[in-house]
Amino acid sequence: MVGHSTHPPWSSFARGLVVSRGSRKRLEKQPTGPKTIHFWAPTFKWGISIANVADFAKPPEKISYPQQVAVSCTGLIWSRYSTVITPKNWNLFSVNVAMAGTGIYQLARKIRHDYFSEVEVEEVPSRRMKKGSN
Amino acid sequence: MMAALKAFWNSPVGPKTTHFWGPVANWGFVIANELKSSSIGGAAMCVYSALFMRFAWMVKPRNYLLLACHASNESVQLYQLSRWAKAQG
Repeated sequence: MVGHSTHPPWSSFARGLVVSRGSRKRLEKQPTGPKTIHFWAPTFKWGISIANVADFAKPPEKISYPQQVAVSCTGLIWSRYSTVITPKNWNLFSVNVAMAGTGIYQLARKIRHDYFSEVEVEEVPSRRMKKGSN
Repeated sequence: MMAALKAFWNSPVGPKTTHFWGPVANWGFVIANELKSSSIGGAAMCVYSALFMRFAWMVKPRNYLLLACHASNESVQLYQLSRWAKAQG
């Protein structure tokens, strides 16, 4: 099968990072190496995942349900997708696993805040009254 | 008409496969990003969609749905970028 390697998937990626004699030939042979779009597309997607991680510091009120559901679904579906395309793309797989992880974590934070925290926090009018009475 | 629908349903890149749902999920992600004023900048989304247009073209099987998804997102992002640039004067 074109692009199918008999080596473990991470070894071809790691080899691409090592500069050595004859490395150019090896780089050219790598189906998901740094000379291909199959490398740079997932690598850039890591940036998006990291932006989601930066959002961990955001208060749960600011988290958006539709966005995090979309992030989680995208991550899960694409994790599967990256294993059925040619060439199999473990870089893409890992970034989407991470994306799904961040999305699910954010969802958990927001759900915990909205449905499992104390009653006073949820009732905005009473909070306003409390503020007014101070 | 029915034959075309049936062909689509059974296609190797049809709704029974992840080659279909991947791009669909990507659409959802892009739209959700649009609804929220995104923490991921417009320029970043331009680069992202440009990369994935190329990816969709080069992947096997070639994924026209993904290509279309990112082509439209790219257009939208470039338009937004042009509006921003114009506002900068």
